[in-house]
Amino acid sequence: MNFLKTKFRSYYLHPSIEFPKRFDRREYAFILFGEGTMHRHISFSSKENLLTYLHLKSPAHVYYSSAYYRNPSAGTMKEKEWMGADLIFDMDADHIAGASKMTYEEMLLKVKEELKKLLSFLMDDFGFRKRDIRIYFSGGRGYHCHVSHPDVIHLGSQERREIVDYITGRGLNIKEIVRERSIQREYFADKTLEINPNKGGWEGRIARGIIDFLKEISEMDRNKAIEVLMEMDGVGEKTASSLYDSLTEERIRRLENGKMDQSTEFRRIAQPLIKKLSVSMHGSTDEPVTADIKRLIRLPGSLHGKTGLKVTAVDIEKIDEFNPLRDAVVFGEEIIKVEVKRAVEIKMMDNEFKLEKGVHELPEYLAVFLVARKMGEVSQ
Amino acid sequence: MARYPFISEAKEWVKEEGVGIDEILFDSIYERARARGRERVIQAVEHGMVKDVPLITEIDCVMEIFSYPVARMIVVATGSEYLIRRYALAEAKRAYENMKNEDVGFIEQMAEEFGIAISGNRIHFVHYLKYAPTWDLKWKLVNREMRKGNVILEKHEIARLIQEAIRKKIQNELLYMFAPPEVKKVFGKEIEEIKKKVSFREEKNRMEEVDASLFPPCIKNLISATKSGMNVPHVGRFTMVTFLNAVGMEVDEILKIFSASPDFNEEKTRYQIEHITGKISGTDYAPPKCDTIRTWGLCFPDDLCRRVRHPLSYYRLKRRRR
Repeated sequence: MNFLKTKFRSYYLHPSIEFPKRFDRREYAFILFGEGTMHRHISFSSKENLLTYLHLKSPAHVYYSSAYYRNPSAGTMKEKEWMGADLIFDMDADHIAGASKMTYEEMLLKVKEELKKLLSFLMDDFGFRKRDIRIYFSGGRGYHCHVSHPDVIHLGSQERREIVDYITGRGLNIKEIVRERSIQREYFADKTLEINPNKGGWEGRIARGIIDFLKEISEMDRNKAIEVLMEMDGVGEKTASSLYDSLTEERIRRLENGKMDQSTEFRRIAQPLIKKLSVSMHGSTDEPVTADIKRLIRLPGSLHGKTGLKVTAVDIEKIDEFNPLRDAVVFGEEIIKVEVKRAVEIKMMDNEFKLEKGVHELPEYLAVFLVARKMGEVSQ
Repeated sequence: MARYPFISEAKEWVKEEGVGIDEILFDSIYERARARGRERVIQAVEHGMVKDVPLITEIDCVMEIFSYPVARMIVVATGSEYLIRRYALAEAKRAYENMKNEDVGFIEQMAEEFGIAISGNRIHFVHYLKYAPTWDLKWKLVNREMRKGNVILEKHEIARLIQEAIRKKIQNELLYMFAPPEVKKVFGKEIEEIKKKVSFREEKNRMEEVDASLFPPCIKNLISATKSGMNVPHVGRFTMVTFLNAVGMEVDEILKIFSASPDFNEEKTRYQIEHITGKISGTDYAPPKCDTIRTWGLCFPDDLCRRVRHPLSYYRLKRRRR
């Protein structure tokens, strides 16, 4: 039997599976080692049966449906009879710009940042409580966020799409949100942008974004600040330097009171700044996936066939401390000879490994990880 | 109550009055209710909105209330789904116009009647999404102030959501209602007349709505490829069907395009079209935007394409120029 399958089987002897709510209404799907196709439309009437299946087949990938159905094992959607679905956000490194150039650890860190933004949206704007939200490390290159509040279960695809659009800022109408007001002076009209950091929704988010950004700029030294400002569309050196000089303490105070005004420079950067900020605040949640009301997701507690890591629950309070290469590892220290195909540097279980190409004696957890990622092979 | 004859209070009242269908249809006392009922339907057909009448005396109100079930029977007796949709919208619009001028307490009561939970000017986003016309940018959730799950709205905006709830309710009721045979006896002439008007309008609408010469090149390509029997990839079929559905083409017409397809299977294709257009799935899929069509390799842009980011904008733009 293949090395990975043997290792997976040893885990599935006593796995720590977290069964989804309404366990018997879900469809399950598996990909077995050595097979490219997915076994779908499977349901289990008891948890014991699922555990037996896992042990016998020791699959490479295990999924269940975010939806629950009247007949989960039926072959067509119509016969399945959709009853509802959890709201799932899939935060994966695939959707992050430049991910291909990052190391595994850097990638996961970046996804964590996106995850935190998502949580802020879900809790501050959508009002979900911590206990409605569960976060799982996917075992691969990202995190899954499950919302299973009774309110959202029956939402259709169109309504889920609205939620995704909200989080990613798609369709955001900046003119509607930041109003320009003309103040008639004696000989001329002065235009003021009104922002309100205390408002809810995107209006407040954008206002706080502007204030934080300009504060940050004002605290930088002159050259650095001008450099940062000039990265924005339509901002030249002249605008940048005169803006930096205008950011007096008094101006920052006025800004905090929601008045962004007077100086031509301010006006010139307002639009590009808002744009830049709203883009930088965009979540990178996998859109089609979230709006899909019948997708498959990895079963918490199962192993990911391409890393050997466990789909692991992450405490919402301890996201920063969570380290997949320590906390999602299920294998032990038994020494295994592995032929490493190319040089690898990795920190796993808090141990630093610097491996050259060639045969090494490695702990089981690292051996599984390297073999699963196709970075090494077990040598006899 | 007479202004909102579809609320449960009005229904209760009609029940308690103990007036039978026969009386409403034949008794000379209710001649006014019958005339007004007829008028409601005709206004819906012609103006897309039921108009208010002065309600001064109690008898005015009684006739107004009874005219509502009369109108419903006429609509159902025509057997036209188009009319059911149009009539439901016309009644809902009238209700909206009236609600705008009511006080907050009344609006809250109406919201409760339709199962929309509001407290003051706040509504939970789940309820908001159910009824808000989010195809309109200004109603998109992202452009709304939302705090802790509650969307903050103005009074008239809440009334607009209730309008949609009313429309859905009336429409669903009528789709499953049968008209008693006597209705045809009493309103035979009117029903024929209304049917004629409706089918004329439907026809006109369709001609107005779908002009294939104005389609963007990507859709034209997909249609001609499908018609000539080429095997179009799934994403191409999806793009085409969602687009044609969005511009108002009926399932049968879309089906015709596919009939030349080498693997044409009417039953299967109909199922798929009805799924995509929301007849089965309940989800009316929107056509993909230009970016997506481009990544699928289906985009063959012309000059006008540079000015749009969505195939539907292309169509609208061109129609306006015509």
